[in-house]
Amino acid sequence: MADTTNQRALDGFLKAIERRALRMTELATASREEALDLVQDAMFGFVRHYADKPQDDWARLFYRVLDSRINDWYRRRQVRSRWTGTFLRTSDDEDDDPIVQAPDAADPGPLLRLAGSQAALALDDALRALPHRQRQAFLLRLWEGLDVAATAAAMRCSEGSVKTHLSRALAALRRALEDHQLEDHQ
Amino acid sequence: MNESDPQSWLADARARLDESAQSLDAATLSRLNRARQAALAQRRSRGLRGWWLPAAGLATSCALALAVLAWYPPGHPTQRVAPAHAPVSDAEIAADDGIEFYQDLEFYAWLDAQEQDSGG
Repeated sequence: MADTTNQRALDGFLKAIERRALRMTELATASREEALDLVQDAMFGFVRHYADKPQDDWARLFYRVLDSRINDWYRRRQVRSRWTGTFLRTSDDEDDDPIVQAPDAADPGPLLRLAGSQAALALDDALRALPHRQRQAFLLRLWEGLDVAATAAAMRCSEGSVKTHLSRALAALRRALEDHQLEDHQ
Repeated sequence: MNESDPQSWLADARARLDESAQSLDAATLSRLNRARQAALAQRRSRGLRGWWLPAAGLATSCALALAVLAWYPPGHPTQRVAPAHAPVSDAEIAADDGIEFYQDLEFYAWLDAQEQDSGG
């Protein structure tokens, strides 16, 4: 009985969080497919290791797992780009060139094409341009609504670091969005 | 987006992010749903396995206990077979001949020596 209740609570929690988690991951990877895979991995890891923890801790634990998956993804990509940079750069075929094949950050993608808003596009671009830690601090703290301690736990850093990342993220976003507005007016 | 007021542009940014999360396409939502169900199914199957293993262990123990009871029913006299060259203990000898034999052992030894002397 208690297990069924817990299962239902888990389902509700994941359902409530999955869309924002996907968007955060998509902003980090610039790829919907990669983001879906990483969110699925994070769901599995979270359910396997933390489902029995108190529900109040679930959000920070889930984002901790997701952040870990995103960091792993960055590491894998770094190793892959080293290899491809060393051995495959000689290829003339553009189909094999990972740089050409990499998702274009400027491409709004289906989601933003549907939204059709220049402001949304500018925000997306500005968020993608942020360093990963700054973007995570901004999204977890100001979008997901985690407090500073929970954000620090999710990002595995000190509360002071969260404040620093957040302050830099806010300054960079503000600058980027003002620049965008100036370009629009010209 | 109004960037002049920090609270305003932040609220605007949050609203746009919310909108982008709410307007995900059907295929993406379906993938998310399947991912969630698979993660939860993993937990259910683990829970089932956790219940099934102790039950199987208990069933095996019961079967073994029943087999032992069928082989040696209660009240059935157990036969003890002495080994062919089992050592004979002092207590068993004493039970056969009586404790007096041991108490008079010195006397019998003396008697035997007297008979030998008189005979030789």
